[in-house]
Amino acid sequence: MELKSELQDTAAGDLKCLRLPFLTALLYATAKFICRKGARLVLLIASVATLSFILVSFSPVDPIDAYLGPAVLKVSPEQRAVIAHRWGLDEPPLKRYEKWAGNLIQGNFGISTIYNESVLSVIGKRFITSFWLMLMAWTISGLLGFIMGIFAGAYESGFIDKVISIYAYTMASTPTFWVGMILLTIFSIHLGWTPVCGAWPIGMEADQVGILERIHHLLLPAVTLSLIGVAQITLHTREKTIEAMRSEYAIFARAQGESRLGTAFHRAIRNVALPAVTLQFASLGELFGGAVLTEQVFAYPGLGKATVEAGYRGDVPLLLGIVLFSTFFVFAGNTTADFIYMIVDPRMRKRSCGKRGA
Amino acid sequence: MIYSKKYANFSFSLAAVLLIFILSVCPAFADKDTLILAVGGENTEGYDPLLGWGSYGNPLFQSTLLKRDADLKIVPDLATSWELSADRKEWTVTIRKDVKFSDGTPLTAADVAFTYNKGLESGGKIDLTPLAKAEALNPTTVKLTLNKPDITFIQHLITLGIVPAKTYGPGYGRNPIGSGPYKLIHWDEGQQMIVEVNDLYYGKKPAIKKLVFLFADEDTALAAARAGKIDVLGVPSNLASQKIPGMTLHVVKSVDNRGLMFPIVPDEGKTTPAGVPVGNNVTADIAIRKAVNYAIDRNALVAGVLDGYGRPAYGVVDDLPWDNPAIRFKDNDPEKAKKILEEAGWTDTDGDGIREENGLKAEFTVVYNSKDSLRQGLALAVSDMLKPIGINAIPKGENWDRIKTELTHKFVVVYGFGDHSPLEMYKLYHTPSSPEPSYWNAGFYSNPVVDKYLDEAVAAKSFKESIPYWQKAQWDGKTGFCTAGDAAWAWMVNLDHTYFIRKGLDVGKSQMEPHGHGWPITSNINEWKWN
Repeated sequence: MELKSELQDTAAGDLKCLRLPFLTALLYATAKFICRKGARLVLLIASVATLSFILVSFSPVDPIDAYLGPAVLKVSPEQRAVIAHRWGLDEPPLKRYEKWAGNLIQGNFGISTIYNESVLSVIGKRFITSFWLMLMAWTISGLLGFIMGIFAGAYESGFIDKVISIYAYTMASTPTFWVGMILLTIFSIHLGWTPVCGAWPIGMEADQVGILERIHHLLLPAVTLSLIGVAQITLHTREKTIEAMRSEYAIFARAQGESRLGTAFHRAIRNVALPAVTLQFASLGELFGGAVLTEQVFAYPGLGKATVEAGYRGDVPLLLGIVLFSTFFVFAGNTTADFIYMIVDPRMRKRSCGKRGA
Repeated sequence: MIYSKKYANFSFSLAAVLLIFILSVCPAFADKDTLILAVGGENTEGYDPLLGWGSYGNPLFQSTLLKRDADLKIVPDLATSWELSADRKEWTVTIRKDVKFSDGTPLTAADVAFTYNKGLESGGKIDLTPLAKAEALNPTTVKLTLNKPDITFIQHLITLGIVPAKTYGPGYGRNPIGSGPYKLIHWDEGQQMIVEVNDLYYGKKPAIKKLVFLFADEDTALAAARAGKIDVLGVPSNLASQKIPGMTLHVVKSVDNRGLMFPIVPDEGKTTPAGVPVGNNVTADIAIRKAVNYAIDRNALVAGVLDGYGRPAYGVVDDLPWDNPAIRFKDNDPEKAKKILEEAGWTDTDGDGIREENGLKAEFTVVYNSKDSLRQGLALAVSDMLKPIGINAIPKGENWDRIKTELTHKFVVVYGFGDHSPLEMYKLYHTPSSPEPSYWNAGFYSNPVVDKYLDEAVAAKSFKESIPYWQKAQWDGKTGFCTAGDAAWAWMVNLDHTYFIRKGLDVGKSQMEPHGHGWPITSNINEWKWN
């Protein structure tokens, strides 16, 4: 795994096997880790920003037309010039990039053209709504995926494994929005158990809404996201479990009369948990993508919906802002995974140390 | 064992929690004082008239100087009197004295002047560029000075909501203060907007106390209506024939039209300054344009493509006050179309079913926005209708941005127009003022007589007096842009706008709606009531 080699460098590279006390070693490694990751983040953001800006400047969507919508027929060339000036579109791309990047460094992401509000405040408002959805989906899919993966792996080729695998393979290739629509039809329209849309009941104001109502509205979108998200974790955990179950210590345990499930949960789980955690954190990107589609289906007013709007309606500042934000978000997920790896797995430090020392 | 127990416990409690929520049914909203509307169109940039809010339909939170009634006649709103100076460049408008904004401050001529001046520089979706300046002469009189005579400016008096000069600022769109019938209470962006009756409103107070506008896409809104959560639902006409329990269909006539735009000038290899190729040798021949117009069976288009929700279109302003009824003609007449083509020298010499003239095939591409199934349906149907008369119209779906930037001056395009202002007609048919007309007069149509009428209409003394000129531009008995004249376009259909409305709700007489479906239905919201 690419991940491991990097961790070896970061966590233990220059410790030179000094056999420092655990805490000191960890602190040292952490500081180093943060520095390196920070530098990487800056580089990443800079290149993503530049690349996205270039891509967007090649977009065939005319931002003024996209903004005007049907009003395009009522607006004269003179008025278009006024709009272009308000947005700074009357300047050449390179100049615009300079300005944009300059503002960015000062923490100013600009003004969203379709919301006429600062990009950061749009992202902030929307992300809070999305956050709960993603958190719920992320938790459900992580837990379920892990448990299902272990069961499938423990009973390799058995009935349970077949059912779980078929489910996971099906879901891995099913579009999120489709599942969303099916669930919506069954539970919201035919059965009337769950609401059709929105983050809380129609006609209620945000401060009147109770936590139960919010969760009630969150349920179907979150389940949709998890149904799909579960597949990846399940399949990976299953592979790892199978691997662990074939190892000598597992075979030894089985030989001493331990059951399959017992072996899986007592012996294999330690080897399986770490990759699962990594995968779970690394899956934030997919979660983000899934949320875009799910929010669209359930008219859930989160960041995903804003992304689609920004794309359709040529809102360049917002689109770029969201790109940068999601870059940061995914990066944070991956870094967390790395960090957990470093803290939880003492072998990482020892093993790499041994190698270097040799 | 530690792991398994933890997970087992957790997943069990999670399942239990899920079950509880699934079983707790969302309470239905059955409050008669509240209406839930899903008519599309959230104004994401806020409800700021200076950025374009209200130019379709009704500004709801703000009031306008004038307005149009259900028959589209111009009636006063804030204004008590209004007149145009002899040089036709100055509007003097007197406003009511008793008007207050919803925050209690009085509305004076200074606010009106501020609104117009600010709107001029705001860079939004309204185009006030004909305005030179606005001044308040005294607390109840305002003078609007134009750069040159332009009677169509009256449309701004009808649509531009007045904002308070004192409190207007960058955040206004999210917290609009106005003098309209409703005030904004709460807006969950991307989800819904709650509005309540404005107690300080000077006009007839609406019977419905509270409105909730639901912002969901078509499928979701439909699903919510099926679940009984919505009172007014706007739907595209292809969904209008279904049944929704507890709701009835409300069909509103509109001037939301669809037509074929013909490039009028021949293809001489020229391009616009932006490099868009111009001209089409086939449609430059008036015989082709007339033949297409006569051959199309508009009733069949309405029945087949619009599922009956619409009416044939013969011009761009059908049934509006400035429509000229003399432009109607008998369509679905392939014999007449063939005769016109024969007389112009278009005959099928090589026997392939397509006519030629001097080696040029009677063939053109009909481009439509590939995302719009209605336009696709029209293009395909018209193509079939033209085959028997020997014209090969090739339908082709294209990306909308590409249509605008590459194809619009060279190919026949399916466009949709229809506005409550005749200014649109001017823009479509007046000789283009710029070499880069974009959507406006994309075919480069030009007729000096039509130009003269259009200019006279714009320079008229009053809106009423401009009407005969608008009508003459269409057809003055000898010439005009209609089919009998230059046949610059082949108009096909006017859509009906379709809504599902909860049984027992009376939405009064709906205005004939412009292009754009949804908000316009709220233009008479003061009259809505429960029976």
